[in-house]
Amino acid sequence: MLLFDLVKQEWLKSVRSSGFYKNLTVRIFLGVFALYMGGILLFMGYSLNKVLEEVPGGTPMELFNGAMLYLLLTGLALRFVMQQLNTVNLSSYQVLPVNRSVLIHFLLLKPLFSPANYLLLLVVVPFAVRSVAAYYSGGVALRFVVAFELMVWCNSLLASFLKRRFGSGFLSFILVLVAIAAVFVLEYLHLFSLFAVSKALFLFVVLHPAGLLVPVAAVVVAFLLNRWFFAQNFYPERFNSKLKTSHTATADLSFLNRFGIIGELISLQLKLILRHKRTRTLLFLSVLFLLYGLLFYTSNHYGDGMVFFCAMFVTGILMFLYGQWVISWDSSHFDGILTKNIPTRTYILANYYLLLAFNGICFILTTPYFLFGTKIIYMHLTAFLFNSGCNIVFFLFCATFNSKRIDLSQSSAMNYQGTTYKSFLIVLPIMFFPILWVNVLAWLTSLTVALWSLAIMGLAGLLFRKQLINLCIRQFNNRKYVIAQGFRERE
Amino acid sequence: MIQVSNLQKAYNGVTVLDIPELNIPKGESFGLVGNNGAGKTTFFRLILDLIEANAGEVLIEGKKVARSESWKPFTGSFLDEGFLIDFLTPGEYFKFVGKLYNKSDGDIALFLESMEEFFNGEINGSKKLIRDFSKGNQKKIGIAAALISEPQILILDEPFTALDPSSQIRLKRLLNDLQTNRNMTMLISSHDLNHVTEVCNRIVVLEKGLVVKDIATGEDTLKELETYFAV
Repeated sequence: MLLFDLVKQEWLKSVRSSGFYKNLTVRIFLGVFALYMGGILLFMGYSLNKVLEEVPGGTPMELFNGAMLYLLLTGLALRFVMQQLNTVNLSSYQVLPVNRSVLIHFLLLKPLFSPANYLLLLVVVPFAVRSVAAYYSGGVALRFVVAFELMVWCNSLLASFLKRRFGSGFLSFILVLVAIAAVFVLEYLHLFSLFAVSKALFLFVVLHPAGLLVPVAAVVVAFLLNRWFFAQNFYPERFNSKLKTSHTATADLSFLNRFGIIGELISLQLKLILRHKRTRTLLFLSVLFLLYGLLFYTSNHYGDGMVFFCAMFVTGILMFLYGQWVISWDSSHFDGILTKNIPTRTYILANYYLLLAFNGICFILTTPYFLFGTKIIYMHLTAFLFNSGCNIVFFLFCATFNSKRIDLSQSSAMNYQGTTYKSFLIVLPIMFFPILWVNVLAWLTSLTVALWSLAIMGLAGLLFRKQLINLCIRQFNNRKYVIAQGFRERE
Repeated sequence: MIQVSNLQKAYNGVTVLDIPELNIPKGESFGLVGNNGAGKTTFFRLILDLIEANAGEVLIEGKKVARSESWKPFTGSFLDEGFLIDFLTPGEYFKFVGKLYNKSDGDIALFLESMEEFFNGEINGSKKLIRDFSKGNQKKIGIAAALISEPQILILDEPFTALDPSSQIRLKRLLNDLQTNRNMTMLISSHDLNHVTEVCNRIVVLEKGLVVKDIATGEDTLKELETYFAV
C-alpha cells in the first residue's frame, strides 16, 4: 500500500508542478509531435513485413529475431544516454518510518511505467499481426510480443544498473559505443555472427513452449543486479541522484585570452557547455546529427529543397542546437553579466563569434560529404554562407524574446525546461524558409539561381554584419529588463 | 556621487518604491534598513540598471544610469547568487571578473592574498565549483568579486546574512577599512541593526517604498532604530 502512496505522490508532483500549467502550449506541440511519431511507428510496423519479405535469409520473423540482440544493444546504448535515473525526493521520506526496501523497489520499478518503454509496441504489434500470426499462429505472435516487451524491461533495468554502477560519464558511453561497434565489425567480417545467435535464441523463445522463461529470467537477473547494487551501497545518499561533487572539465582554453574580453566571454561559454549535462548532450546530439546527410544524400527520393534543408542542418547543427537558447544559457548569472564591466556590444559580439566558430567547425567536419558530388558541394557552401550571414543574426535577434529561465543545474539529457512556444516560433521560419525558397526558385528558374540567391543573402549578411549587430544590440538593450526579470523567476 | 530624483517603481499598479530626492555624497557609507518588501533590493536594482523605473532617474557622477554603461567600470556590486557564475571554480571566477576590469594576473593574485583572512582559508585554490560551496562561502566569493576591481562605489544587499559570526566581524572590519583607507562609497542593506549602525555613517529606513527616516549615525541611532522596529 505504501508503494501505491509513493506512486500517487509522484503523480501529484508532476501534475502540481508549475511547469505543467505554464507550458500548455509546449505540451500541445509535443503532443502533436508524439501523435505524428506514433503514426510513423505504426506505419513502420505495418510495412516492415513487406520490406523484410524481400530480404533473403528467412521469414520476416526470423530476420527480426536475428536483429533482436542488435536492437537491444542499441537500445541499451541509447538508454545509457537518455534514460534518467529515478530518484524520489528521498530526504522527505527518509525521516518518515518508510521501509527501505519499499523505497528501493519503487526506485527500481518506476522506470517500467515510463511510456517510452511501450513505444516500440507500436511497431511490434502490427508486425506480429502481419508477419508472425500470418506465418505461424496467433499464439506465437502473442509470445513474440510478450518476449519483446520483457526484453525491453530487461534493457531498462540493465541500463539503470549500468548507469548507477559505472556512472553516465562520457567515457563510459564511448566504451559502450566501442563495444557495439566491435560486434558490428565482427559480424561484417564473418568472424562471429551475433545475428545467428540472436536468431537461434529468439526462435527458441518464441517457438518452444518453455521459451518465454528465457526473457523472464533475463528480467529477473537484471532486477536482482539492481537489488544487489543497492545492498552493496547501503546509504541512500549514495544512490540518491547524482553524487554531489561536480567534476571540472579543465580544457585548456588559455589560447582565447589573446582576444581580450570577447575571448574571456567565449571561453566562459565553452566552460558552460562542457560543465553541464544538458549542454554536453547537445554536443553529443550534434555529432549524431552530422550523420544526417547519409540519409538524405544517398537517396534520390528527396527534392532539392529537402536536400538543401539537410545541407543547412548538417553544416549548422551546433549553431542550431546551441543558438536556439543563446543568451538564455546565461540566465542563472544574467544579473552578473549586466552589472559587471561587460559592454553590451562585447557581449553580443562574443555570442556572434562563438556561433560563427560553431558554423566553421561544422562546415569543416561535413566536408567529407563533398564526395557525394558537386551539387552537395555547392549546397554546403551556400548553406554555410546563409547560416553564417543570416541565421546567426536571426538567432541573436530572436533570442531576446525568450525570457524563460534555463536551469542548467537540473541535469538531464532530454530536458526541455525553458522551452516555450516562442522557441518553436523561432525555429519554424529557419526550417521552412530555405526549403520553400529553393523549391520555388528552382521551379521558376533553376537550382543554380536558387542557391546563388541564398548565398548572396548570406554574403550580404556577413558584409553588413556591423549594422545587423547594431540592430541586435539595440534590440537587446530594449528587452534586457524583461529578459532579466524573466531569468530571475525560478520555476 | 549618486543622485536619485523622483524615482518611482510600480508593479501592476502598486507602487513599491517612491523616493523624491536622495543624494549620496562620495565616501559616504549608506545603510539601508527596512522590513521585507520595503523596497531595499528594488532600490539597489534600480541603481544598477537591472530594472526600469516607471518615473525619475538615478545619476552616478552626474550621468544617467539607465541604459548606460559609463558607471560599470567603477561600480562593484553583489545582490544575490544571480551575480555569481556558479559553474566556475572561485579562482576562474575571480580571474574572469578581474580581466573584465583590466587587472593583470599579478593584481588578482595580490588581491586574493589580501582576502585570505576573510575567506578563512576555504576558498583560494579550491578546485570545487562555486555551486558546490555553502551559501556563506558563496556570499564571500560574491563580495570579493565586487571588490576585485577596486571600485569607487560598492553596493551590497544583506552581506551579513548566511555568514558565520567570525566572518561577520571580519566583514565589518573589511568594510570599515575600505571606507577609511580608500574613501569608498558604500550602499549596504541589512536586517541586522547592530552591524549596519557599526559600518554605516548614515542610515535610511524604508517602509513600503517610502523613506521614513534618514539619520546620521550617532550614539543613539541603534536605540532609535530598535524602538522604530519594535512591535
